[in-house]
Amino acid sequence: MKILLVEDDATTIDYIVKGFLEQGHNIETASDGHQGLLQATSSQYDLLILDRMLPQLDGLKLLAALRATGDQTPVLILSALAHVDERVKGLRAGGDDYMTKPFAFSELLVRAEKLMQRGQSAPVTTDLVVGGLKMELLTRNVTLDGQDLMLQPKEFQLLKYLMEHANQVISRTLLFEAVWDYHFDPRTNVIDVHIAKLRRKFEELGHGELIETVRGAGYRLRQRH
Amino acid sequence: MFSTLVTVIIGALLFVLYRQLIIEQQYQVTQYLESETQRYQHLARTVDRRSFAAQIRAADPQTALIAWRNSYDMVGALSFMPEDMPMLPQTRDFPILTGGPDKLHILTGGLVMTRYGPVLIATRTDNLATLIDKFISAAATAVMLTIILTLALGYLFSKAILRRLVQYNRLSEQIERGHYDTRLPLSWRQDEFDMLALQFNKVLDILENNLMAVRGATDNIAHDLRTPLSHIRIGLEELASKSTDEVSEDCAILTEELDHCLATFDAMLSLTRIEEGQQTLDLQKLSLAQLCTDLLEMADAVAESNGQTLSLSLLSDHIIHGDKYLLFQALYNLVDNAMKYSGQGARIDIIQSGPQVQICDNGPGIPDESKERVFERLVRLDPSRHLQGTGLGLSMVKAILSRHNAKINLTDNHPGLVVTIKF
Repeated sequence: MKILLVEDDATTIDYIVKGFLEQGHNIETASDGHQGLLQATSSQYDLLILDRMLPQLDGLKLLAALRATGDQTPVLILSALAHVDERVKGLRAGGDDYMTKPFAFSELLVRAEKLMQRGQSAPVTTDLVVGGLKMELLTRNVTLDGQDLMLQPKEFQLLKYLMEHANQVISRTLLFEAVWDYHFDPRTNVIDVHIAKLRRKFEELGHGELIETVRGAGYRLRQRH
Repeated sequence: MFSTLVTVIIGALLFVLYRQLIIEQQYQVTQYLESETQRYQHLARTVDRRSFAAQIRAADPQTALIAWRNSYDMVGALSFMPEDMPMLPQTRDFPILTGGPDKLHILTGGLVMTRYGPVLIATRTDNLATLIDKFISAAATAVMLTIILTLALGYLFSKAILRRLVQYNRLSEQIERGHYDTRLPLSWRQDEFDMLALQFNKVLDILENNLMAVRGATDNIAHDLRTPLSHIRIGLEELASKSTDEVSEDCAILTEELDHCLATFDAMLSLTRIEEGQQTLDLQKLSLAQLCTDLLEMADAVAESNGQTLSLSLLSDHIIHGDKYLLFQALYNLVDNAMKYSGQGARIDIIQSGPQVQICDNGPGIPDESKERVFERLVRLDPSRHLQGTGLGLSMVKAILSRHNAKINLTDNHPGLVVTIKF
């Protein structure tokens, strides 16, 4: 996948570039608005990661100019402007997702991959399989090593999201967004409680270690090798 | 400006009066001359020449001067007949010399043709002239006095206004220098200046309050952010001497601390935005019953893991206009607080009835004297602050609810707390 990062802060650039290269993505950078617009219009990218406060040309203006040319490349806005209003402004200007700084790379990666997949016609999946874990999306049957797991709706949704991103660290914010349509930082242990319940059901089948807590980051569903 | 206007008005009044006076006087003169004319014409027709002359000589020179040129001399009060006298009712002014104390007199008069020749009939108008002179000098004095008086009054008046403006200016400079407790003085007059001062003082009160709140908040932020920041600093210093397998665990702990700092910071900012009305609400029709159902759904698992019972009673639904996310955040915050502070095994009820939502618990409750204080920024009743939280939750709840014109009330549940929200 080919990504263009428009960002002016060197530390952030290094951090993001290193992360995406490790994941096997191809990433190019532009350090000001004009340069970014030039690159975005002159070659084809699968994703644009755009800072809002850029020298020469503001990120939202760049985005508006890009959209005016009919370019529908997915755009992820990355900004220090954290407020809901700013988020709405960014999405209205044509952004597809909005992340605030500071951020964890793991979350950026999940969001970026989600946006890049959108453009592709992925085959319709009816089953998710991660190691011995199997989820039938239509019947909502979940089995672990052939044994049935009885899950409540929220637990089902959480596990589905974790299975879709197996081996990736998923932040609480991402899980929260995936399960509830109320977007706010709850600063509560809602997610932890649901994960704990899910993990207990795994433990009953002897595989509690599959759901791993990553301190300071979130959760990860491990795939047994 | 004002004095000019007054002078002009008074001048105009005096002028009109003057005109009236002159017209009246001239009318009287004309009337008098008319009646004399008729008298002498009548005399000339009825008496002979000698009696006519006698009548003319007998006329009172104080009121009327009659002169008749006989064939050989002048009869009457005048020793000569002025030339070019018009025939009455046309008149002409002419001067005469007398031997009296006022030597020169002005007369008005004209000729009348009679059987015995032209008769001059005139009346003294210098009384009138003096009167007019006196009137003019009186009027001039009055106008002068008025001008002086209005100028003086205007000066004093504007001086008083200026003095207050200068005073206001001096006081606002004082405020500018940082004396925020300065207020403008009010007088007993209750005039426009007092209105201005009153309004200005009101604004100052609000600003001073806000300033105090911000100062208080910054002190609290400093405290709330300093503690985790200093933990992080210590942690980073220690990291250098840690063995490699400990590093990743320690980094994770530090990241969590940092995230907590950021959360406090974000909450602070968004609270300010909501309180100051900078955030626009995304208003939509909401069912309170639906909102409470979602609330139960999200909180249920948490209550269960705390060994608490969470129940929901929906009595009658109510539709409101509100920001779904903000209201949910506020309500969730209240339920979350109830779960956090009411302890293991507690019972928490969410009761929705029409426009009212109640969240009741049977935990330790909040003492009466602290019920208002919990809504203040960064106030946490738990002095050790050992439970995770930013101390902004209830301030946020209050700010969100007041943006929705809803009232929140804390009462005792004996034991426990009842939070009542009325939309």
